[in-house]
Amino acid sequence: MSDTPHSSPMDLAAAYALGALDADDARTFEAYLASSPEAQREVAAFREVAALLAAGADAPAPGAELRARVLRSRPGTAAPQAASRVSAAARPRRSPWAVAVLASGMAAALFLAFALGRSRDTLRQELAARDSTLGELAARLRGREATLNAILEPGVRIYELTSSGDPKPGAQLFVDRARGVAILHAFRLKQAPAGRAYQLWFIKDGKPVPSLTFNADTTGHAMLQQVPFPAGGVISAAAVTEEPATGSLQPTTPILLVAPLPAS
Amino acid sequence: MSARRIDLAGGTYVTWRMSSTFSASPAGSSDRELMTRAAGGEEAAVGRLYDRYARVLHAVAYRIVGQRADAEEVVAETFAQAWRDAARFEEARGSVPAWLTMIARSRALDLTRARVRRDRATTSAGSEPGPGPAMGTWRSDPGEAVDADERQRKVREALAGLSAAQREAVELAFYEGLSQSEIALRLDEPLGTVKTRVRSAMQKLRDSLSPYFFERAE
Repeated sequence: MSDTPHSSPMDLAAAYALGALDADDARTFEAYLASSPEAQREVAAFREVAALLAAGADAPAPGAELRARVLRSRPGTAAPQAASRVSAAARPRRSPWAVAVLASGMAAALFLAFALGRSRDTLRQELAARDSTLGELAARLRGREATLNAILEPGVRIYELTSSGDPKPGAQLFVDRARGVAILHAFRLKQAPAGRAYQLWFIKDGKPVPSLTFNADTTGHAMLQQVPFPAGGVISAAAVTEEPATGSLQPTTPILLVAPLPAS
Repeated sequence: MSARRIDLAGGTYVTWRMSSTFSASPAGSSDRELMTRAAGGEEAAVGRLYDRYARVLHAVAYRIVGQRADAEEVVAETFAQAWRDAARFEEARGSVPAWLTMIARSRALDLTRARVRRDRATTSAGSEPGPGPAMGTWRSDPGEAVDADERQRKVREALAGLSAAQREAVELAFYEGLSQSEIALRLDEPLGTVKTRVRSAMQKLRDSLSPYFFERAE
């Protein structure tokens, strides 16, 4: 291990966890690490420190659609488009010879494709487009079926959240206390202004507990699935307020929609 | 702000005390349980991990790549890899968020390096406008939101407790992926000095932040 001032291999644990060791030092340290449980614990602790560095950073929140995209990346299914873009960007450059060989191969393939006829190509594209549409419809149907199943579970109770607004927005809350989840369906709701969103609250032991943020679509509807229902205490009501898009830890505006949630 | 009494049907009421502080920490599955379920292909488990850690992964990616769309791609790739490799996750080597963070950092650095290579070749570097407000943020667990805010405050305090030189060394290593030799070159400082700075900074951060590690009690 080169260059001062390390008196012990353990001194390298912090830089190793940070990914800052030079290649030679990293190889030497890894050999030591493999046989030292103490060093493994040190590295694990410094990795926690490294992971926390990002927690202090200011950054915009990821877009809401990213969650659905992540859930579509189940192993064995096609990789998300984004993934392929990153991978392609990160791929090492090929040598000019390899590029030339690849280019001539691609030219031959293109020639062959034309020789096989344009109509076949068009048919394939149409089929692919229909497959994609069918896939989207099937995914939407699966989502609807899951919602329906959740609502039809024994013990699920429906509560109406009401308001005095004009036009009068409303919401239905389907609560499954046994499973600790709820579904919120809001309607006749105006879209929140830019940078704002609606936030659901539960009133637990007389105090508001923050839940999910959401926004209405262009038809005034909003659906929140898998809303965690607070555990313990007495949950006496649910309410909706308008808050900053990132949500609030305590309500900052008057209640827009509210409903009592009697347990029995 | 003063308390406001909201009367509900049936004689019940709630007190809407806008300035009140409160905490909520609904019990949830441990990260390890979620990893096991994710390894079995359970989508909800991955969703739960996403709800817990997407923000922090996005923050590290955004800090490195500097563009929101690229940062989101890094997060998507990170979860795709984590899902694929969930069965191989070894808890002894660190917590789930630490593992996810290192995947995200590595992918973000790869993307940045590839972009630098591309820009050198084409000299057509384009920069995007700064990020706008994020709508529809998925904040699914109020207890975790409270934890995250507290943790962010503590991390900032801990970083502020480092000397400027220590902070710079750590940030060059973590966000730019520089080795200690490269940092020494960049700063025109002796390598030994940089090594000492990195080590002492990380130790200091560890001392201040160990109560706030992501690792959850089982």
